[in-house]
Amino acid sequence: MKRPCGTFDESYAQDLACVRTPFRWTMLVVLFALLFGGIPLVASDYFLGVMNLIGITVIAMLGLNILTGYCGQISIGHAAFIAVGAYTSAILSEHLGWPFWATLPSAMFVSGLMGLIVGLPSLRIKGFYIAISTLAFHYIIIWVILHGGDLTKGVWGLSCDFPKLFGMELDTEMEMYFLIMPIAVLGTAGAFNLTRTKFGRAFIAVRDNDIAAEFMGYNIFKLKALAFIISSLYAGAAGSLLAHYLGMITIEQFPLIDSIWYLGMLIVGGMGSITGAIFGAFAFRLLAQLVIYITPLIGQVIPAVSVSGVAGFTQMLFGTVIILFLVLEPRGLNHRWQIILSSFRIWPFPY
Amino acid sequence: MEFFSQLLVSGILTGSVYALMALGIVVIYKASSVFNFAHGSIVAFSAYLLWSFVVQLHMNLLLAVVCTLIGLAILAWLIQRLILYPLTGQPILAAIVATLALGEVLAGFVTLLWPGPARTYPKFFPSGTFHLGATVISLESVINFLICALAFIAFMLFFQKSKLGLVMRGTAEDHQLARSEGVKINRIFVLAWFVAIIMAAIGGFLMAQMHGVNQEPLIALGMKSLAVVILGGMESVLGAVLAGITIGMLEALGAGYLDPIVGGGVEEVFPFVILLVVLLIKPYGLFGYQRIERV
Repeated sequence: MKRPCGTFDESYAQDLACVRTPFRWTMLVVLFALLFGGIPLVASDYFLGVMNLIGITVIAMLGLNILTGYCGQISIGHAAFIAVGAYTSAILSEHLGWPFWATLPSAMFVSGLMGLIVGLPSLRIKGFYIAISTLAFHYIIIWVILHGGDLTKGVWGLSCDFPKLFGMELDTEMEMYFLIMPIAVLGTAGAFNLTRTKFGRAFIAVRDNDIAAEFMGYNIFKLKALAFIISSLYAGAAGSLLAHYLGMITIEQFPLIDSIWYLGMLIVGGMGSITGAIFGAFAFRLLAQLVIYITPLIGQVIPAVSVSGVAGFTQMLFGTVIILFLVLEPRGLNHRWQIILSSFRIWPFPY
Repeated sequence: MEFFSQLLVSGILTGSVYALMALGIVVIYKASSVFNFAHGSIVAFSAYLLWSFVVQLHMNLLLAVVCTLIGLAILAWLIQRLILYPLTGQPILAAIVATLALGEVLAGFVTLLWPGPARTYPKFFPSGTFHLGATVISLESVINFLICALAFIAFMLFFQKSKLGLVMRGTAEDHQLARSEGVKINRIFVLAWFVAIIMAAIGGFLMAQMHGVNQEPLIALGMKSLAVVILGGMESVLGAVLAGITIGMLEALGAGYLDPIVGGGVEEVFPFVILLVVLLIKPYGLFGYQRIERV
């Protein structure tokens, strides 16, 4: 890690610390103050809704980042894992009346189990074939949910209770914000620390060259399965939150295109870094908001374009953004951010 | 038994279209080792393009086909030049995400230009049915099968006998060797994309002729041909054809016998189940090369 001049480690504890300099501590405190004080104070309900969606997306993205960014297993089925989490929550909530605090862990558990199953083919195949198998799993999982009979109610979808905290129902955007954001922050801290552990480093070894990693004594199948499980734990949590936040889920909310957008967010944000995952989630959700503002203008300028045609425009825009990032800045927004940070750190000298 | 043979025949007839589409993916993979996830969107795009020329611009079929081919050639060039050429040498994820994003761009383009419900072509082929023993076969699907067979034969002749086909095979074998012989491999990649897109377009046209020009089923069709490619082996032309017919048959049989049990829609997902089974048992497909890797 690059540090400003004159910062030395004098003990192992200092060497291991996540946040080292007083400046970083200040920035962290400012960030938290903004997140839990500033934004909820000034933001409108609509903006809080956007932030809630971003929070949920961040949680999902952290999972995909561990699987694809750190462990190198390309997953085109992330939306399906989220669907598993969301449906587990909704089924437990609607049929059995479980509260949120019970459905969240169960959703994570079921989703993690599904991750283990989806990760099983990685015993024999890798790289591109894993991508195909997750794609196939996406289709199969969505199909099973759609044909789940009374359990999932097919195309009708399920309703889902709002979470309760100390007898208070969290049904406004503000209250959900204070539920989702702490979980997102916890998830971020967890993912950040995971990448510093033995497993996180092993994931990176597997990503860079799995045969070499195997020679170094790693059980790569175990690691890949673990990555799949952790990734789907995050996806399950995101799905559960989504279900309880929206209060209503249908299978339409988990199309294949979402899985593709999650991969796209990873590219746009920057693979293999926690900040990258967060940047990607923010970039895509804010771009979607921008699209909501500008699409009526398109309808005014070109009247021939109908409302459903405008949906096509959104799809084209997102696809184009992903391709542009792949071609022009494959390391994503995070790379730019690191450049800004390091030039700030060494200012006023150019080295 | 009658039910079985009915399913078998209809499966073979659908399978021929799968085979044609899978052939397209295999051609691209062999030439530039890019796996085309955008095949479904290309299928839909070309079907709509042809529909637009025929119905909206009132061209006759021949002129419309020529115009569509020109459009598809431009598309092939754009894909190779703007997206895949800059990604040469990037990790495999880049190519995968690029073709996925390309698929979404094309699908969005189709929604933008041709929104709303499904379209239909005017009738090009005579309709009718005839009996083969107890099996009823529609004339249209037989014509489809014949067109697929013709397209396949034309492709094989081009690939095996023409000089350009030889150059393509050479490029598939070894990029550097091909270059040292003076082959402009980027042009060959464009050509491979063009050939593949034509295959996809023929398949899309045949399916749209029967079931209407509708975006989602056509995209799903292209996605199912991924399963065909995996079963046949990614490098094998023959494998694509055999696997196409096999998957068509299995899908028809699975749908015929399982639909009453689970309540419909099996054919949407059955190819993917086969795909997973193949990946677990024989990951490189029936005729694919087993890859040997070194650190």
